[in-house]
Order: sequence, then C-alpha cells, then structure tokens
Amino acid sequence: MTTHGYDFARDIRLEDLWDDPYPIYRRLRHEAPVAWVPAAGRYLITKHADVVFAEQHPELFSSREKDSLVLRVMGANMLREDDPEHRRLRAAAEPPARPRRVRGDWSPIFQRTADELIDSFADKGEADLFADFAGPFAAANLAHLLGIPQVPAADMIRWSQDMMDGNSNYADIPEVWDRALAAAGAVEEAVDEAVRRLRDEPDGSVISSMLHAEDPPTLQQIRNNIKVIIGGGINEPRDVLTAGVWALLTHPGQRADVEADPALWRNVFEETVRWISPIGMYPRQTTEDLELSGTRIPAGSRVALVIGAANRDEEVFPEPDRFDIHRAQRNHLAFGGGPHFCMGTWVARHEVGEIAWPTLFRRLPGLELDPDRAVETGGWVFRGLLNLPVRWKK
Amino acid sequence: MPKVTYVQQDGTQTVLDLPAGTTVMRAAVAAGVRGIVAECGGNLMCATCHVYTGDGADGVFPGATDDEDELLDCTAEPRRDNSRLSCQLSLTDQVEQLVVHVPGAQT
Ligand code: HEM
Ligand code: FES
Repeated sequence: MTTHGYDFARDIRLEDLWDDPYPIYRRLRHEAPVAWVPAAGRYLITKHADVVFAEQHPELFSSREKDSLVLRVMGANMLREDDPEHRRLRAAAEPPARPRRVRGDWSPIFQRTADELIDSFADKGEADLFADFAGPFAAANLAHLLGIPQVPAADMIRWSQDMMDGNSNYADIPEVWDRALAAAGAVEEAVDEAVRRLRDEPDGSVISSMLHAEDPPTLQQIRNNIKVIIGGGINEPRDVLTAGVWALLTHPGQRADVEADPALWRNVFEETVRWISPIGMYPRQTTEDLELSGTRIPAGSRVALVIGAANRDEEVFPEPDRFDIHRAQRNHLAFGGGPHFCMGTWVARHEVGEIAWPTLFRRLPGLELDPDRAVETGGWVFRGLLNLPVRWKK
Repeated sequence: MPKVTYVQQDGTQTVLDLPAGTTVMRAAVAAGVRGIVAECGGNLMCATCHVYTGDGADGVFPGATDDEDELLDCTAEPRRDNSRLSCQLSLTDQVEQLVVHVPGAQT
C-alpha cells in the first residue's frame, strides 16, 4: 500500500465510518486495499476480489476468533465455528430455511404478518416504516420460523438488540453485559419451553428441526444457535426492507418500472443489499502468515471482510454509488460466502422482496416520503436507515 | 483426463484439463472462469453456480437431488431441462469432453 494510504488508514475514526463509510472505503480500495485500522483493531479488506478470496479460503480465514465477545454473550455457536463442527450444527438448523419450505410453510404466515401490521396503521395516512412495520415484520416472522410464535415481536426485537449490543461491547460497560446476558437468558427460557412442546410433536420450525436432526445438537447448542439467529435474523431483513423502500421513493423511474413489472422485485432486492449492505463487515482471524494485495498479514491477525466496501468496488460494479436495479452484474457479497453463507438468504429474499414490498406499495396508494421529517442512516458493521417516515393517500 | 469447456453467453470459451475428483464449479473458481460465482462454496445453498450442460453430459452425472432441484427453481437465469448446479457435477474418468454454458447472471 502507499504511504499515503497507510497514514490515511491509521487515522480513520469509527464515528466517520458510522456516518458515511463509502468515501472512506473508496480511498481504501485505491490506496490501501488491505489496511491495518487501529480504531477498528483489525485489517480492513475492502476489494471485491480479496473478500472473495478470503471467503473461498476458510482454512486461512477462520471463524473461530479467539476471545470473541459473541461467545461471551451467546456461547459456542455455528457462526463462530469452523467445519466440520459448523457443518453439523448448520445441517441441523437449515432445512426450514431452504427455498421450497419458505414458499410452502412460511409464505402464508409472512403475508399474514404484513397484512396485520398494515391494517394497524393504514387509516392513519402516515407511519414510520422502520418502527411500525419493518422491525415487527422481521421479528414476528422469525419467531414463527424458529418455533416460538407466542413471543411478542417487541420482545424479539429487544432481545436481539440487547445481545447484539453485548457482542460489540468492546468498551466493557457493565450495564450492557447485564442487558445482554438477561436477553440471552430470556431466549434460553423460550427455547426450553418450545423444546418441551416439540420433543413429541415435531413441526416445521428450526428448533424442531435441530431437535429431530439425524445428528442432533445438544440442548445447549440449540439454545446458543437460536440466540445467534435472533441476533442476526431481525435487523438485516429490517434494514434491507427500509433501504429498498427509500431507494424506490427517491428513484421514481425505477419505482415505476417495478410497479409495472413485478418480476423486477428480485432485482430491487439484489441491488438494495449491494448498495447498502445490512451487514457491512464480518470478522475472521488468519491461521497463517499470508499476503493479500501486496500487504503481509501475520498469522493470528484479526481481519474484517468489508462486504459493504466490496459491494461498491468499481472494478466489478460500474458507478457503484448509483442505485440501479437494471445492472447487468449483480454478484454482490451481501450474504457472505463459503460455508457460512447466510442461512436466512431465502427467507429474507422471500419475506422482503416477494411479500413486504409488493404488499406495501399495493396497499398504501401514493406512498411517498414525509417531506417534514428527514430520513437518517447510520452504521458500518451494520448499516441501515434509522427511521423511515412516510405518508400516503388515506 | 476430463476436458471441460466453459462457454460464455458472448461465445468466449475457457478449456480446462482437469483431474478427476474436482467439480465443474471448483475448477472454474480456481481458474477464475467468469460467471461461476459459487457464493456458498459448494454447500448447496446459493444457486449461483448454475450452468446449462451441453455435449458430453449425458449419462455421466447422477441426477439432481431434492436440494439441488429446489435451488434450480431459484436461479437468476431461467431454469431449463439442461440446468444443473456445477458444484454438484463431480468429474470422474468417465467424463471425457464436457461442454457447459455459463448463464449471463447468477444473482
Ligand atoms: C437481507 C438480510 C440478511 C443479510 C444481508 C444477511 C447476511 C449474512 C451474512 C453476511 C452472513 C455471514 C456472516 C459470517 O460469515 O460471519 C450471515 C450468516 C447467517 N445468517 Fe444472515 N443475513 C440476512 C438475513 C438473515 C435471516 C432472516 C436469518 C434467519 C433466518 C439469518 C440467519 C443467518 C445465520 C444463522 C447465519 C450463520 C450461518 C453460518 O454460520 O453457517 N440471516 N448472514
Ligand atoms: S456453489 Fe452454492 S449451490 Fe453450488
């Protein structure tokens, strides 16, 4: 990397990444594509080709990060395991999230969730789609998928947020630990209750699938993996949902295109997760000395695969900052890659792209941004809208 | 030694001589063949390693499993009778010359 690039990387501040990481990522890709960033305590890997390389070499880029805070909050789980143990847990949990089951088992439930939420505010003529729709929609759907449908969406959202705050509690704030561990305990109770019910009467849920798998995980492994799925299965679909609505409301031509041709909802989904990737980066630890884009990374280093940067790499996506559902190339990395490729891919694509968006645009005629309230966006590890005030014709 | 020809939509071709034991996907990724994205690395979850099989494919591969079959319904380019996921096409010495066509998009 260039000396300039090195100085630049050393001075990157997390606040600036939070506000708008994309200009920083552009400079990193050009001047220091593999850069030690002290504020993040990691090497940031920002080019598409390098991230793909890391994803394809899990033996060099391990998920078993030492002293991961995730382990402290959630206990050992598939996200922080390598194969073969990872494969065993994943195989037990995955079947309910595969595409045919999503269409058959979950689609009607997702549709009902969408309609009930819209019923609750359709008459008002205005809403904040972040708090009033996207969050509860993702949370209620996930509760069904997991096998804990009686848990209110508000509890799911709180547990998820409290655990995620714990996962990133690098400042070691005691109150954050307390909330995270309390949330983890509440999830364990909900899982235990479901296990009592599902042991003799299996159903199509993830907990049931793990319980009755060919090579079943232990009860503690089931609990831990459900914590991870609650931590990672609410905010991401919520964030792609709001980002996509916002993108369409600010790009009227593309909105008209998709309203005329519903087959384009798929393009809207793929372009939205590329443009504002809900998971902006995920961590790995190197297992041996290696060299990537001319930078030497010692064995045991913490690295960040910055998919939010890779998804705006101009070598792969021309005019990467532009939202364009008609792009020819769409091989974004928003769902990660390799063995840990997102387990919720088909759930998210279906609930957001095929249910939530078409239903919102159909049921809320004349949907537009509220001109009196600004939309805010933030984050880099996770990035998304923080609100989405809209109105429509009653 | 199996010889696999990857044909892009614009007609450009990559020909690889491959050892038995690898898959049509793995070989393409290692050689950087454009258009074989293979996000999930062969774990049958992503459907981004879609190919249309051509000459030399008849009778040399087992049929698609249920897991492959459902993903073939989710490919970015339309599924056809000769659609397969290339991570499931293991090369054996039975395969002599194989042609696969790479679709224009994978996601
Ligand atoms: C648009 C929405 C979503 C995005 C962008 C997304 C993104 C990701 C990414 C990047 C990873 C890889 C993390 C890593 O390798 O360290 C991942 C893993 C995972 N995701 Fe998602 N996700 C989404 C929705 C969901 C949903 C709805 C669920 C719940 C069903 C879910 C469950 C999981 C699980 C369990 C893993 C870990 C898989 C493993 O370790 O094998 N995700 N996701
Ligand atoms: S590589 Fe993912 S299904 Fe073939």
